[in-house]
Amino acid sequence: MPDNTNRLIKIVLLVIVAALFILFLVAISDIVKLFIIAALLAYVLEPFASFLESRGMSRTAATISIFLLLLIVAGMSYLIFLPLLSEEIRTLKGGFSSENAELIISRLENFIVSNVSFLGIKDLNLLSRIHATTAKIGDWMVMHVLDAASVIVSIILIPFITFFLMKDGRQFKKEFISIVPNKYFEFSLYLLHKINIQVGNFLRGQVLDATIVGILATCAMWLLGVKYFFIIGIFAGIANLVPYFGPLTGAIIAVIVSILQTGSFNLALYVICAFILIKLIDDTIILPVVMSKSVHISPLTVLLAIMIGGKLFGIFGMVLSVPVTSFIKVVMHEIIMNYRRYREA
Amino acid sequence: MNNLWNNIFTFRKKKTNEIDTILLNIPIFQDLSNNELKTIKRILHQREYKKNEVIFSQGDIGLGMYIIVRGTVEIVCNPGRHILAELHDGDFFGELALLDESPRSATAITTMPGELLCFFKPDLLDLINRNPKLGGKILFKLAWTIGERLKTTNEQIRKLCFEKKDNG
Repeated sequence: MPDNTNRLIKIVLLVIVAALFILFLVAISDIVKLFIIAALLAYVLEPFASFLESRGMSRTAATISIFLLLLIVAGMSYLIFLPLLSEEIRTLKGGFSSENAELIISRLENFIVSNVSFLGIKDLNLLSRIHATTAKIGDWMVMHVLDAASVIVSIILIPFITFFLMKDGRQFKKEFISIVPNKYFEFSLYLLHKINIQVGNFLRGQVLDATIVGILATCAMWLLGVKYFFIIGIFAGIANLVPYFGPLTGAIIAVIVSILQTGSFNLALYVICAFILIKLIDDTIILPVVMSKSVHISPLTVLLAIMIGGKLFGIFGMVLSVPVTSFIKVVMHEIIMNYRRYREA
Repeated sequence: MNNLWNNIFTFRKKKTNEIDTILLNIPIFQDLSNNELKTIKRILHQREYKKNEVIFSQGDIGLGMYIIVRGTVEIVCNPGRHILAELHDGDFFGELALLDESPRSATAITTMPGELLCFFKPDLLDLINRNPKLGGKILFKLAWTIGERLKTTNEQIRKLCFEKKDNG
């Protein structure tokens, strides 16, 4: 009986400590965000550093070389894509000006008002609301993407943290292992090794998949002449990290933009076909090649993860909620599977 | 103040030299250059063990080898806790686990407080990945060590067979 009480006290204490830890993380969410992005980047870039090391470079030289290369790529992207991106955001801020679009919106508004009058709807003001929403999206993008302060903080801090995680990652791991008691030391190392392989493959696969889908979507929207093709492409790539809802959201936004742009459904049909084709290419060609192991998460879990992520970390949390949930699932799976294997061996 | 610094550095140098000597006496690390030895030392885990502390249990998945810097370790086989070997400073054990993940065939327990160096498979795989030349050297010497162990075992089996034949 005292044993049970002790165990209960331990569990309660553990739950309290975990809750306090989560609260602490939420309180410093801005720093956590930077660390999560830096850790993900370090994971993705790890094979490149190992490759350069195998060619005779020291770890520090390999990390510096990768960062120099990234700096060149980022500089070129800045010169090529930033004018395009800022132009698109500025247009988005200005709202839609197509007369056809306004006609379609007012027709839709009339349809809603006349058919659902029993709900007491008299004036929806859809047009002004859409204008306000697009302007808000533009403002948000200016604030988060083009805002000099946040860009500078991210540009300096994320590479800085990533650099040290890559350069001293092995040392951090060794330091961590050194505090594990002797009893669990070998098992912890075994577990870290297994998790490292699985999670590394998963994250690298996800990033590669999102990049390819983003490029395909950008090219498709550009070829079809859809406005804001660059923003839609980037969004579709990032949204692809979220299963079920991600690809659908990307396609819906592209369809809405195409309808508002032309005032007809012709372009929207092509856009839908393009997104179906991208999804097919993703499912049949890209995913089987880049993902060594797919992580199955139920739609309900995905929805819950997005809601929790959004509540805790805003839009950033929503985007990263599913990859992080998948990450936790892979880690838990590896812990349970390997603990069983380890003990049953 | 100067004396204090001198003492610290003398201690560190002595400790480093002690570990270097131990490592260079292990067949797997025998032919390594100073730089290569430094690389190896960076990936080794140094652990302190109390008296009668279990290092690993029979049946656990093996992850790597242990080198005794200081102390005594007993290799015990269950059932019956039959003592297979008693190992001392500079001895090593568990090297087969660097190659496969089969369960440990015996339990290792310290019989006095000691310090061990641990060389594990994930670190060896990482080393092979980023420094194939050094990784190849280690693997070759590891194969040689295991080959030597196999030769000794064959010799013992041969002797046992002869003894059985003579008795029967």
